Amino acid sequence: MVTGLMLAAFAGVMVALQTIFNNRTDVHMGSWATTTWVLFMGFVASLACSLIFEGSRTFALANMQPWYWFSGLIGVGVVICLVLGVKILGPTFSVSVVLTAQLSFALLFDSLGWLGLEKMPLDWKQIAGVLVIIAGIYIFKFGGKKKAVEIVEAEAAAE
Amino acid sequence: MLKGIIFAFIGGACITLQGVANARISQDIGTWQAATITQLTGFIMALLIYLLVRDGDLLGFRKVKPLYLAGGAFGSVIIFSEVTAIQTIGVTFTISALLIAQLCMTFLIDTRGWFGTVKSKMGAPQFIGLALMIAGVLIMKL
Repeated sequence: MVTGLMLAAFAGVMVALQTIFNNRTDVHMGSWATTTWVLFMGFVASLACSLIFEGSRTFALANMQPWYWFSGLIGVGVVICLVLGVKILGPTFSVSVVLTAQLSFALLFDSLGWLGLEKMPLDWKQIAGVLVIIAGIYIFKFGGKKKAVEIVEAEAAAE
Repeated sequence: MLKGIIFAFIGGACITLQGVANARISQDIGTWQAATITQLTGFIMALLIYLLVRDGDLLGFRKVKPLYLAGGAFGSVIIFSEVTAIQTIGVTFTISALLIAQLCMTFLIDTRGWFGTVKSKMGAPQFIGLALMIAGVLIMKL
């Protein structure tokens, strides 16, 4: 349990860092060049890890189902949707909706046991927990965050 | 407006779907292999789209700091950790813990002004938001 939570939290920290780094890259390269670059780097790093930890089993792909070859397209779909979402709604609103959808579908996947997942009964605690988390997301995202510059200006004005 | 919400919602659903699909593929061929293949096929598709729409400039990488360019490599450990977490604690817990850590980290970066972000001061709403999110995970664990 604790190991799983720690791994998930570690992934979250890395996602936050990657998001910032990708934004910095986006400024100079644009969104599709950035996406191409990011996925290439991820591929190279994963291949290296696979070779280090799995050795020749890296290429033992006998169990591949045909659809596995297309799973990477989901990520490309994500990029298209997020770019359009941000363009129409702005970052704050769109990210809030994205996070809401992520959690709602997580609950759906657990309770339906799709794609060979262990089916977890959907109970009120799960639903209540997710609703509270979503409420937290909206307060976090929409609660006014002062920029330091504005604070300095406000303090200067007060004096 | 509604269109934007639909795009963002589908995007979020696909992020979770990708994690679950990776977990499924990992059962059959191994986690690092799954991370390698999904990112390879994603890369090929993104490259085709890039060549088609010509949005941006791949050669622009020369103007980007090496540290930022290396960010893509995090994808490997992100997928590995997420898949392993999904297999041990389920999708809902994994995504919840991941998002809390992600927002905490973003918040830390923003307040410190790391990586050239505009420094912003911590506000009560952000603390309340994070507290609620953690409370939500505890409720699930009741």
